[in-house]
Amino acid sequence: MALRRDLAGSRRETPEKADVERETLDVDVLVVGGGPAGLAAAYRLARLNEERGGEPLIVAVLEKARAAGAHMLSGAVLDPSALSELMPDWKSRGAPLDLPVRDDRIYFLTAGRALPFPITPPPLRNHGHYVISLNRLAKWLTEQVEAAGVDVFTGFAGTELLYEGDRVVGVRTGDRGIDRHGERKPAFEPGVDIRAKVTVLADGVRGNLTKTLIRRFSLDAGRSPQSYAIGIKELWDIDPQRLAAGSVIHTMGHPLRFEEFGGGFIYALPDGRLSVGFVAGLDYRDPLFDPHVAFQRFKRHPLVASLLAGGQMVRYGAKALPEGGWHALPRCHLDGALIVGDAAGFLNSMRLKGIHLAMRSGMHAADVAFRAVRENDVSAGRLSEYARLVEAGPIRRELYPVRNVHQSFAGGLLAGLLYSGMSLLTGGWWFRDPMPAHAGHERIRTVAKYFGGAAPPEPPSAPIDRELTFDRLTNVHYSGTRHDENQPSHLLVADTDICRTRCMEEYRNPCTRFCPANVYEIVDADAGEGKRLQINASNCVHCKTCDIMDPYQIIDWVPPEGGGGPSYEGM
Amino acid sequence: MILVVAEQRGGALNPATWETVAAAQQTGESITVALVGADVQKLAAELAAAEVAEVLAVEHDALEPYTPDGFVAALAQVMEKACPELVLFPHTYQTRDYAPALAARLGRVFIPDCIASKVRDGQRVFVRPMFQGKFMADVLPQGPAPHFASFQIGACRADACARGAAPAPVREAAVEIDAAAIRQRPEAPFKEAKQAVDLTQAERIVAVGRGIKGQEHLPVAQDLAKALDAELAASRPICDSGWLPMDRQIGSSGQTVAPKLYLAVGISGAIQHLVGMKGARTIVAVNKDADAPIFEVADYGIVGDLFEVVPAIMAALEGEA
Amino acid sequence: MKIAVCIKQVVTRDWPLRVAESATWVRDDDASFEMNEPDAYALEEALRLKELLGGEVVVCSAGPARVSQVIREALARGADRAIHVEGEALAAAEADAVAAALAGAMEGESFDLVLTGLQSDDQGFGQTGVVLAERLGLPHATIIMEVDVADDGGSLRVKRELESGWFQWVSMPLPALLTIQSGINQLRYATLRGIMAAKRKEILTVPAQSAETAGQRILELYVPEKSSATRFIDGSAPEAARELVRLLREEARVL
Repeated sequence: MALRRDLAGSRRETPEKADVERETLDVDVLVVGGGPAGLAAAYRLARLNEERGGEPLIVAVLEKARAAGAHMLSGAVLDPSALSELMPDWKSRGAPLDLPVRDDRIYFLTAGRALPFPITPPPLRNHGHYVISLNRLAKWLTEQVEAAGVDVFTGFAGTELLYEGDRVVGVRTGDRGIDRHGERKPAFEPGVDIRAKVTVLADGVRGNLTKTLIRRFSLDAGRSPQSYAIGIKELWDIDPQRLAAGSVIHTMGHPLRFEEFGGGFIYALPDGRLSVGFVAGLDYRDPLFDPHVAFQRFKRHPLVASLLAGGQMVRYGAKALPEGGWHALPRCHLDGALIVGDAAGFLNSMRLKGIHLAMRSGMHAADVAFRAVRENDVSAGRLSEYARLVEAGPIRRELYPVRNVHQSFAGGLLAGLLYSGMSLLTGGWWFRDPMPAHAGHERIRTVAKYFGGAAPPEPPSAPIDRELTFDRLTNVHYSGTRHDENQPSHLLVADTDICRTRCMEEYRNPCTRFCPANVYEIVDADAGEGKRLQINASNCVHCKTCDIMDPYQIIDWVPPEGGGGPSYEGM
Repeated sequence: MILVVAEQRGGALNPATWETVAAAQQTGESITVALVGADVQKLAAELAAAEVAEVLAVEHDALEPYTPDGFVAALAQVMEKACPELVLFPHTYQTRDYAPALAARLGRVFIPDCIASKVRDGQRVFVRPMFQGKFMADVLPQGPAPHFASFQIGACRADACARGAAPAPVREAAVEIDAAAIRQRPEAPFKEAKQAVDLTQAERIVAVGRGIKGQEHLPVAQDLAKALDAELAASRPICDSGWLPMDRQIGSSGQTVAPKLYLAVGISGAIQHLVGMKGARTIVAVNKDADAPIFEVADYGIVGDLFEVVPAIMAALEGEA
Repeated sequence: MKIAVCIKQVVTRDWPLRVAESATWVRDDDASFEMNEPDAYALEEALRLKELLGGEVVVCSAGPARVSQVIREALARGADRAIHVEGEALAAAEADAVAAALAGAMEGESFDLVLTGLQSDDQGFGQTGVVLAERLGLPHATIIMEVDVADDGGSLRVKRELESGWFQWVSMPLPALLTIQSGINQLRYATLRGIMAAKRKEILTVPAQSAETAGQRILELYVPEKSSATRFIDGSAPEAARELVRLLREEARVL
């Protein structure tokens, strides 16, 4: 049977050619994803091997990026609490935490002005935290993990979970060397079945494996739907005199309206390097809203533009983040598997921080997996200890009080701010707890509904000058994104007819706006009749926004050939 | 004195030789041209037409056909006797094959693939591309003379080579070659159709972008390429759509090219495309949109509908042919 | 057959590079790096020869500590061991210095065959292999598209690429050095088992000796500037086309 996926991207069949000789590899614990959660889990397991003695567990990490840390993107300000517990000697091991936060400011932006908040609310205070590059942190953590005896396989994507009955028994890595028509290239290398007693899923926000697991076992039953945001970020080189290294600035308001959730951030790294980014909630109603345009407009605000003027944009990237918080966490333990980090949704959207929680969840998972493997019981019952650790530990202590924050912003910025302030007094309780929430793709309105049948006004735009503001395609160039061009599209659109018929009419193809990498384009149909969807899969920066936000939920993000994707060096 | 090493094969001079002589002439220094082979008197006389001080015929039976061992041995002897200050080569595959070994044997520096030479703060520096043409570098040769440098084909114009009022003297430079010490045994060259298109070697390229609208319009660009004796290439969307094979894609995740002429039709000039062709010597852009970034790198621009402009270019080419 | 492959780590193709403040090198402190493409083909060729003839493939690289990334990649693909000549200055060193560093570490090994890539994606001298051959006293051939080793293992017959579609077969005794052209073969992927096996393979790290080389100094690295503003040609399509053809013939002289 030929593996058939046409360019438009029909849903992927499970290919199994009779003559594929698939290698298998047996490990005790397989960690899927080399981000902070997965690496913390792997490191903790290696430490436990050392501390507890006996036959060491075999631990391996799979990472789809070509190099360690290459798909890591965050602001980022790090709360070092989890790292300090994982590795008390991180300083002497050369952890890339060398810039403490020295100055914390919040502004409310109007179109032309920046109004400073008189005080920084406690959740946003960053004393004792560090301005870091998550890419560097992950690279360094990978080195530590490898030195501790764990195999880290970079350039390998986990494409399928392996089951025995309903028990997860490992992961199959993607076949490599398949051309765009689904045929094998001469260098074809079949994927490997990595069998594990416990599989720790650290595949990140909207992880492709976690997603299938949540669906198969309804792990989110009775939970609030997960809500997401998209973060878009650039690194700039500016005159170091303009903003002292260690400065942290957050903004609310412009260019967002009260109905949209999000804000900007500016973190000053050493040597005049600036991390400038914008987070927009993926639960906006306006079908014409464009997060990339919002980011460009943010940069044109005098507060930001005056910092960036004369500087140079040197990197670009984007990534979704889970913002649903406590109520949106799925069940994270099942037979043979645990879910950690952003894949589960351990992120504090009120503090805008998730790295420390991701690491913490990885550490809990490691503790539980270690004991479970040693006791030869990896059932969901045994692994449910993970949920107890989360409940009893710092994760709940931090997430529970802010459990309704993101949902409260669904009522608009003012309601959100009011709630956030009140919740500090009530410990997070509100008249409705949990507050009702809807998945973002259900909130987006049709053009007709949103504009009440009237012709929509021209959406706000930002002139592209290629100095301060950039078009998506130019930005993508600065993400270092590269895929083998000759491979099947990894963005599977179940029904491209919807795109050119219903979606065009109802939502005006929002994929062309919410994708920050120009993957989706509506172009003239080949025969010159009407339009068609063009998928530029090789631009994809793996942010997952399309998988999350598409109103018909017909886009399925699956991993491209291992090694493909952005290269977020220094991000 | 500048020594220019000429190149010949099968009784014909490589035309790049004239370009290198022209580059040497621009320095105003006295020039000697060396021609290496078994029987090169006739070609040496041809070279003597250029405005140079002298032509050296470096002859030995063991120097035909070309071998790196033979050429290194011969030219090392020529250098020792002639004591040039600078030795220039055309940057051909043959130069790349032996000149680095020659320089290493003599303990001299060899700056390859230059596009120009200039005087900077009183010193002669060489300009060469680096990082696949993303940057240029001014390179100062160090160490004892002679310094070696090779010039990219097309860096100078062959017809800029000045002819002398009278032919320059041709002198035989005797060299001793131990034929048995030549380790390479070359066979006769043969021509073979390449399996893959090698756009990097193309002198002229017609590249087509989204402006072509549909696969059915490709012949418009194909005909233009044919008329210009150019290779057909494309920007990514064209290859992504499968209208042209991927080995014709220019830019990131495609080829990086630097032809003499790059004619971009219907290409807007996304940065992903520009990085692959910015190094072309002459860039022509035909595009409907006057603000398209391709015009920022173009030498000549026509703002207009390619379906009108391209046939007009064809007509103009035929009209003057 | 004991085969050495020389590989270089270079900044990833298409990386948005900028000139460093010194103006003599690029700012690569946070760049992404990869194996120089032609070197990857040289490695593949060596692995294929080893599969055919038996023996050993030793990967050699001269560069700063970060080079270990591509060394490990080569070991994961199947090289047996590695020699890393380590020196910070090698990151931006000229071909002669790199060849000298490599030669110093390779001399005692008595390789039967040394393969290098044709040229590097960064400085692009295209000399390291040839200079290395000269320093090791080996015969060489460049821009190789096919390699045949004689049955007795004493000599080679290789296909060289010449300009404009011409090729040539050249024979020479072993030991010898070849510079390999991209596209000579199909690259293989590193496998999980290869990556695991690579961990146990030997990487011999030797400090770079400060080699005496002739030297070429980069005074300035800069983005090439367009020589003149774009000349827009106005008029009707036929007029503009005629004028363009005239300019291309008479001014640019590219027709």
